[in-house]
Amino acid sequence: MEALKSQFPAANFSLLAVVLLLPLLGAFVNGIFGKRLGKQGVRLMALSAIGGSFLASLLTFLMLPRGEAAEEGGHLAWNAWHWFTITGKMQQAIPIDVSFAIDGLNATMMLVVTGVGFLIHLYSSEYMWKDEGYHRFFAYLNLFCFSMLVLIMADNLALLFVGWEGVGMCSYLLIGFWFGETKNASAGRKAFIVNRIGDFGLLVAMSMLVYYLGTLRFSSIDLAATNLSVPVKIWPIGNLSADTLPSFVAAVILPKEPVMVYASTLVGLALFLGCAGKSAQLPLYIWLPDAMAGPTPVSALIHAATMVTAGVYLVARMGAVFILSPAAMATVAVVGAATALFAASIGLFQHDLKKVLAYSTVSQLGFMFIGVGMGAFASGFFHVFTHAFFKACLFLGAGSVIHAMHVRIHDTDKSQDMRNMGGLRKYLPITHATFLISCLSIAGVPPLAGFWSKDEILWKAFSNEIAAPRTVNGLVPWAWPTWLGVAIYWVGIVAATMTAFYMFRAYFLTFHGDFKGWTIVRGWTDPHAGHGHDDHHDAPHDDVKGDGPEPHESPLAMTIPLMVLAAFALLAGFLNAELIHVAPLGHLLEGVFKADEVAVHERAAAHGKEMMMLVPGILAFVAGIGAAAYVYLQNKGAQETAFAKSFPRLYKLIYDKWRIDELYEATVIGMVDALADIFQMADTWIVDGILAKLSAAIVGAAGTVLRAFQTGKVQAYSASMVIGLAGVGWFLVRPHAVTSIDDTKLKQTGEVVVSAAPGFGYSYNWAGPGLAPTSDFSATREITIPLQPGDKKDVVLQVKNAFNGVDTQTITVARPGKKAAAPTPGANPMDDLAPGGKVVIPGDKIPDLLRGLHQ
Amino acid sequence: MSDAFFRYWPAIIAGIVGAAIPRRDSTKLRAGLGFIAAFLVFSIQALWPEDASAAHAVASEWPHLLNVLIFLPLLGAAAVLFMPRQLLGLLRGFTLGVLGLGFALSLMLLTVPMTTGWHFVSIHEWIPAMGVRWHVAVDGISLWLILLTTFMTPIAVYAAFGSIKTRIKEFCFAFLLLQGAMLGAFVSLDLFQFYMFWELMLVPMYVMIGIWGGADKVKASVKFFLYTMAGSMLMLAAIVYLVWTHQKLTGTWTFDYLALSRVVLPGPSAAAGGWNNAWQVTKSPQGLCFWAFSIAFFIKVPMWPLHTWLPDAHVQAPTGGSVILAAVMLKLGTYAYMRFSMGLFPGPASSFAANLAGIAILGGIIYGALVAWKQQDVKRLVAYSSVAHLGYVMLGLFGVSPSGMQGAVLQMVNHGVSTGALFLLVGVIYDRRHTRMVDEFGGLAKQMPIYAALFLIVTFASIGVPGTNGFVGEFMVIMGTYTSERLSTFSGIHTIGASAGVILAAVYMLGVTQKIFFGPLTNPKNKHLPDLTVRETLAVAPLIVMIFVIGFFPSIFLDRMKDAVQLEYNQFKNASEQSIRFGDEKNAQMLPEDNFAPEFLRGAPGFKEEKPADDDKQARGEGEAQ
Repeated sequence: MEALKSQFPAANFSLLAVVLLLPLLGAFVNGIFGKRLGKQGVRLMALSAIGGSFLASLLTFLMLPRGEAAEEGGHLAWNAWHWFTITGKMQQAIPIDVSFAIDGLNATMMLVVTGVGFLIHLYSSEYMWKDEGYHRFFAYLNLFCFSMLVLIMADNLALLFVGWEGVGMCSYLLIGFWFGETKNASAGRKAFIVNRIGDFGLLVAMSMLVYYLGTLRFSSIDLAATNLSVPVKIWPIGNLSADTLPSFVAAVILPKEPVMVYASTLVGLALFLGCAGKSAQLPLYIWLPDAMAGPTPVSALIHAATMVTAGVYLVARMGAVFILSPAAMATVAVVGAATALFAASIGLFQHDLKKVLAYSTVSQLGFMFIGVGMGAFASGFFHVFTHAFFKACLFLGAGSVIHAMHVRIHDTDKSQDMRNMGGLRKYLPITHATFLISCLSIAGVPPLAGFWSKDEILWKAFSNEIAAPRTVNGLVPWAWPTWLGVAIYWVGIVAATMTAFYMFRAYFLTFHGDFKGWTIVRGWTDPHAGHGHDDHHDAPHDDVKGDGPEPHESPLAMTIPLMVLAAFALLAGFLNAELIHVAPLGHLLEGVFKADEVAVHERAAAHGKEMMMLVPGILAFVAGIGAAAYVYLQNKGAQETAFAKSFPRLYKLIYDKWRIDELYEATVIGMVDALADIFQMADTWIVDGILAKLSAAIVGAAGTVLRAFQTGKVQAYSASMVIGLAGVGWFLVRPHAVTSIDDTKLKQTGEVVVSAAPGFGYSYNWAGPGLAPTSDFSATREITIPLQPGDKKDVVLQVKNAFNGVDTQTITVARPGKKAAAPTPGANPMDDLAPGGKVVIPGDKIPDLLRGLHQ
Repeated sequence: MSDAFFRYWPAIIAGIVGAAIPRRDSTKLRAGLGFIAAFLVFSIQALWPEDASAAHAVASEWPHLLNVLIFLPLLGAAAVLFMPRQLLGLLRGFTLGVLGLGFALSLMLLTVPMTTGWHFVSIHEWIPAMGVRWHVAVDGISLWLILLTTFMTPIAVYAAFGSIKTRIKEFCFAFLLLQGAMLGAFVSLDLFQFYMFWELMLVPMYVMIGIWGGADKVKASVKFFLYTMAGSMLMLAAIVYLVWTHQKLTGTWTFDYLALSRVVLPGPSAAAGGWNNAWQVTKSPQGLCFWAFSIAFFIKVPMWPLHTWLPDAHVQAPTGGSVILAAVMLKLGTYAYMRFSMGLFPGPASSFAANLAGIAILGGIIYGALVAWKQQDVKRLVAYSSVAHLGYVMLGLFGVSPSGMQGAVLQMVNHGVSTGALFLLVGVIYDRRHTRMVDEFGGLAKQMPIYAALFLIVTFASIGVPGTNGFVGEFMVIMGTYTSERLSTFSGIHTIGASAGVILAAVYMLGVTQKIFFGPLTNPKNKHLPDLTVRETLAVAPLIVMIFVIGFFPSIFLDRMKDAVQLEYNQFKNASEQSIRFGDEKNAQMLPEDNFAPEFLRGAPGFKEEKPADDDKQARGEGEAQ
């Protein structure tokens, strides 16, 4: 250990490279060389990659700083390379590095990701064996583990975002793994896009953090977070004001006082939007149930154990920001509670085994958000931890059941329908046992893992109180009402009751009662041999009620992960059993959250009621399991049928998931779609129409008009020539008195030369001051007029032509006064250097300059 | 030798891995991929930004490098004219050889540290009577666009030789001419010279669309030409006005950008609201010239509402033409806005910043994305996606923050790489099926797995998934938008708008990928499509690798551009303040030289540095014909 410590010092802990690069290598090798490696090779590569990564993670975990060092925020850090630098406020350089920092929180997460990841890889290596995309599957799965590890190990938000979107991308690829069906591909796309809505929030949050804190590193954010306590104007936006808006609009939309909100609240809400997208919370949960279109191990790993909990991880990581804003905390907790209840209600009547588990995941994620939203970061995270085990176990168990069903039913939907199952406990004993343990755990039966973590969250919801931060610039922060925590507690109890009910409904429907899939005939063989169990194309010979063999237990590679996970689901609770003061995990996390939990207090009224508030929690699972047993074990679901009959609409509404998808379809998606249609039309008809087509039409029209003159008919041309000649003739017959003035010598001699234009038989008569008065027309075309400074003279010119027509024109010549003497044209304006070195041309000189140019 | 081996072993391994990748047994493909992999890893190692202390001794700059880069393809084009049209192999080989040599030579630009100021300056008198000079130089901004050009053109030509079978000689001529003109436009610092290259560029592209284009090729090529030409005319008028004003103020004729950037044209009338009144600003000579320049550039970018030539041109252009059009020619618009509009008219560029940024977001990022979503033709879709992506670039430039501008320059390169790759890949199915309508396809991933995988990678790059190139650029632009001083009260809402664009990008790109590649393979015409050929793979491979290189190691690029961007930022900030605060409403003025960094003005006619030049600067100044 000491040798390792000197090899990998805490400040340059390059062992993390092994953790990260092994899955990446696996993804690369399987993705590119997978087909040539063969399935055995792919399996070996994938398993050794993730297994090696697990061992390295374990080593990392063991080498974490302990004791005092941990409490002072000691961690293992590794800076891989400098990624890029951005510039913040006031030109501050903010380096964004590819660097990783490990403390108790993410070391635990690393163990979960690589450990559960390994088990699920092992499981999949058998489950997917007959799939032709075997190598592709493991390439994606390894890539997912890599991205997830980047997400949790990153020491800054930008790098976390790499993992964040990376897992989203892998999720997209894996949900649409069987892309031959449009449904699966669409589910993948939906997941990605809904996640992107969340990512939008994350981007906005990051830009605000860059602006206000000048850093994206978690450790620096923790230190500088209080800088977020500044009021920000959120309405009116931009330059909207009484000056820029028409008064009637301004009266409606402009408040008397601008709406101010703390930056911490905005950052918190934007971050939480990202978390809600990734962790499937209201209103962005809709992608997760659809994501069950992916292979079942994927649902277990990505959509239950790891990726979907990233949102909880992020809130916990950014705790320093959240505690500054009770409003953001309350949003997290209330959304969590609402999601927990809402998703649980949908779970009540689903027939698809995986869908039940999916909604249960959404609901459990809601519990986790209650925890972190109430300031109980460690408790929320602990539920992430235990949930990873029992939910992965449940999903893998479901996969094992589906695997068994696939012997005879090849259609994806039908093989997952609980109405086709029943009585499987005698055929699948191991699956049954592990599934039961996990069900008990999720229902919160003591002393299983789920009990400890869920109870802890509910207790914290009941007892915690978030202190209001100090007031800045007179903006009073939103205060946390005392009843809110209690209300969330009771919502949580109701949701927990429902959880127990629907989980045991699923358990009884699947494992108890009679088998309803097909008539079991011993020694039956498939007449359509050659179809693998994972052949997910619609097989037309699926006559569900026909004959078939006994469902069989899955092979060892699939049952070992089930057993290991069930063991954890059974025992992991003792890692943080606060109630009985056995909490090694809590102790590990103390250093991480110590600073964040300063604003969180226990309500005085809640003091000492810990044991008492345990009772509703226990009643919840007793009631839930009891009701499920009564309805589905005793009465074979008679009450559900009765309920469906007496309230058909309500039943249908719940079964259709409250028709939220349809609501979104009609509102948000419909609106965007309509907007896109409008834009598309506008692009064709208005933008292109005006700029290109209309201008082309104008030019074309001008051309058409001009073309009318170019007829090619000689008569027309000669006619126009005659008209033209007549015009020229008329011009020549008329006299034209036109003069030009030459004042180049004005400055030197004070003389201006005026000359008249010549013409056919012209004679001229000049009259004016200083000229000899005469009434005769002479041939004098040019006269010279002397001028004194300040003089102004009018000269009258008469022109007579050969036809005795006379034209008259008056010319005014002037010489400016001495002070305003006209500058020499072409003089260098540099003479007029203004003080300060700037060259200035006075405006009134520009005409002179212009004239100079023309000479 | 062994040193080199130990230093560059990753490149050797990469080469071996690259050669092992293809499953098909083709020596050419193996050698090609191996070379690409090894070369890229080698480049990353060689270009890795080093600490200032470890910087190499400053290598001397060969002053003729840029001239060679421009004239090599131009002379090559002339040489092509003398080759017999029957010798296709010679024509193709010669063209690729010239372009490849150009790329190799352009790598020499990377051998010097890109410090503040101009590099590889070459100045010669050209038309002394008008003050026109041949003035070429690079800085950290144009550096990457030159490399993008020399990198993309050989790829585009190589790919195009696979699908273009008629009039090869003319094709080679057009491409070489285009290459020379584009490079010339990127490095010109003389407005006359810039204008000449800017217009020269149009001709080969016009010919390319008109001859090798699709069904409606003539109409599209005319539209392309006229649209761009209209903007260029405005710019020409503004150039003449600016040059004339400069002559009035100083008595010397010059078209030199550096000298002209000191001119402050008359601004808006203070009595009528001054710089706060957008109409007054527009009406003033400064505003009019700003718009005359910028409209020319906005058409090229293209920015809403001047974008409608782009989809038509792209749809009709042959694959090679589309690649160059998207990857390089559009960048001239953004680059020229950054250099000339912002450099010459900082006052209006600053006072219109928030409005223009609003147009870039609403008209580009959001409108472009939504219209792209509704397209049936894949090429049209990619064309509209360009409008959206370049919206980010323009937003970064309008916001004028160091991050935003760096992001914008990086995003220019990114868009060149990923959209170029998209057009190459769309060309693949067009060559096979002679249609690009999305409805004709579906489920291709089963039939063409390699093609599907590569398309998906490029799709993710286009969406901007972190780890690919698109992310870094967009991220920097968004961060720059929020921190921008120029956008002031609008920065928040602009940030939200720009971030919302990332959602829409996923909507349209994933939509089209799904329709082409996923779902059942129903159309019988698609059942026997062959996967990528050797040529297609080799053409796309470097782009795919670049996607990840920029995504993971952007500092290779950002480090070399940051000084140039910082200089431009400081200068813009200072000059815009000067022209707003001291700008006269009637008279043009010259900003004193001390408003500019000496590194910037070095090379301007009549500019003399105060302190005695040291050896390095003398070496650089030798080319100046003062």
